[in-house]
This record gives sequence, C-alpha cells and structure tokens, in this order.
Amino acid sequence: MNEFALWLSETYPSVLIQTHNGWMIPTIQSIHIAGIGIVLTSVFMMDMRILGLVGKDQTLRQTTNRFGPWLMWSLVALLVTGVLMVIGEPVRELVTVSFWLKMFLIAVGTLVAAIFLRTLQKNEQRWEDAMTKRLSVKLMAILTLLVWLAVVVLGRLIAYDHIWGAWSPARRL
Amino acid sequence: MDISEVLKSIENTDIASSIRNSLFLFPMLESIHVMGLALVFGTIATIDLRLLGLASTHRPFRRMASDTLKWTWIAFTITFLTGALMFSTNASVYFHNSVFQAKMALLLLAGINMGIFELTSGRTVRQWETAVSPPTGAKTAAVISLVLWISVIFLGRWIGFTTSRSTSNDTAPAQINLDDLFPGTPDDSTTPNKK
Repeated sequence: MNEFALWLSETYPSVLIQTHNGWMIPTIQSIHIAGIGIVLTSVFMMDMRILGLVGKDQTLRQTTNRFGPWLMWSLVALLVTGVLMVIGEPVRELVTVSFWLKMFLIAVGTLVAAIFLRTLQKNEQRWEDAMTKRLSVKLMAILTLLVWLAVVVLGRLIAYDHIWGAWSPARRL
Repeated sequence: MDISEVLKSIENTDIASSIRNSLFLFPMLESIHVMGLALVFGTIATIDLRLLGLASTHRPFRRMASDTLKWTWIAFTITFLTGALMFSTNASVYFHNSVFQAKMALLLLAGINMGIFELTSGRTVRQWETAVSPPTGAKTAAVISLVLWISVIFLGRWIGFTTSRSTSNDTAPAQINLDDLFPGTPDDSTTPNKK
C-alpha cells in the first residue's frame, strides 16, 4: 500500500490537486462534509422513524421514499469527493488504520441500508404492520446509526492516525 | 479587562488546558462537532427543500417542520457546545482569525434569515402550508438559508487550514514537498494539512 500511495502521489491528477492544495483540498473536504450532512440526516430520519421518534404521521414507506434516494445519491457524491481526496493526499489517507476501518464500516452501513430498502419494498405491508415493533429491528436501527457515527469519527481520525499507536501504519513510515 | 485578557483567561481554564493536553479530546470534539453540524445542515436542508416545493411536498409544512426542527435544535446545541470547547483551547487565535469571524457572521445572518421568515411568510403559514409550492417569500428564505449553511460548512473547514498556518512560521509550499506526502509525527501539529 505504501508503494501504491507513493506511486499515486506522483501521477498527474494527484500532482494537480497537490499544486492547488491551498483551495482544492478544503473545497473537496467541504463538499464531502455537506454530503455527510445528507447521509447522516437520511439515516437518522429513517432509523428514528423505525424507533417511532420522528415522522409518525408518515408511513415507513413514505419516510424511506423521502430519504432513501438521498442517502444513496449522497453516498455516491461522498465516494467521488473521497476518491479525489485520496488522489490528492494518497499517503495521508491510505497509510492509516482509520481510513481502512472507515471503509469497512461504510461497506457494512451501505449493505445494511440496501438490504433494508429492498426488503421493505418487497414486504411493505409486513414492515408497516409488524416489523418496526420488533425489538431486533429497533436494535438494528440503533446499531446502524452507531455504525455511521463511527464512520464520522474514523473519518476525522484519518488526520490523527497516531492515536492508534502501534496499530497505525503511519507510525512506521 | 480588555478582550485579549478575556480570551487568555478562557484559554487558561482547566477544561481548555485538559483538551490541549489530551491526545483524544480535540479529535473527539471535532468528530461530535461534525455529527452535530451534519444533522443541523441535513435537517435544515430538508425543511428548505420543502419550502422550495422540491421534497416532502405531500406533507403540510408545519407538521414536517415541527417534527424536524426539534432535532435541529438538539443538534445545534451539541454543535455549539463542542465548538465552544474547541474555541476555548486557542481562543485568541480563533477570535482574531478572519475565517472564524466570517463564519460567526454567517451564522448570525442565518439566524436573522430565520427570524425574518417567521415574521413574514411564517405569519401566513396556515394559508400555504398544504400547498406543494409555498409563496415566493418562503422560497427566498429557503435559498438564502441553504447558501448560508453551505458557506458556514466551507468556512468551518477553512478555519482548520488557516489557524494551523497562522501559528506556523514557514509558508505553505507551492509544489510537492516530500514531507507533505507523509503524515506528521504525533507532535507535528503545525503541518497545514493535518487538521
């Protein structure tokens, strides 16, 4: 990964971002944060609807119709800006434990969201009537929210990877 | 007592120095700040999109707004508190930082915009709250709100770059510097792109 990161840092797109890092990096990061706002709010609204704390005048389906597509499209926007940040600062991003742990949790969170939205579509009535009352479903809602909050923490920790001590590959550079 | 003494005394509080001396606290405060601002921005955007007639249009405005706004205020409180704690660690630098000042000004404008909305279109909400497309005044407030909050996010991110620069003596290198490609050592808090 070190060699890959170093190679990437010498490619044209990377050099381009580095040369303009004064404004490009903060701009990409800001768009990324605005995207995090949409993702986190969408997950929050759907999970809170399952927990019965928000949108009680709305069916579960109405809530997921409102926020599901926004979640998925803003994840795409985060992927694009995220890739640009990796291209711009390959070593800073890739040679950290925070980054890879974050990628793993994003995969888990996205998979859970996709499965949830799909099964809801298939068994709509059962979800509206019974599923949201189940304790296991409520726990899952809390757990997925925590996964996305952990993604936020890990995203911030990329800049502070030395916190992980010996676990951080950045230490060995 | 002038302002610089006030700022110094904020920096000298126990809580400010324990955040400075901790490896974890500042990044944790930043993380919680991001969570809070994410919900503030996302929930406000949800309401603004309703005002623009672009989303949640089947839902009466007052019902969706009251359902959403309580989370906005909880999230705003969290964001404000974590922001204040981060401010305390380096109060005099932030206070005199022009990006920080601009961010505070825009936050104030966002509040004023909300107040104007309440006093104008908000007064007649009963007449238009079920309409798919609210009146122009409400739409204007929504556009202003979105622009202001997105700008607040940009300025907030910029503070992290400008404050570390203003405390470091060397200017940021224009071209690739091998040192920049490597994450700094734990005590290397002055590297521009770290925060």
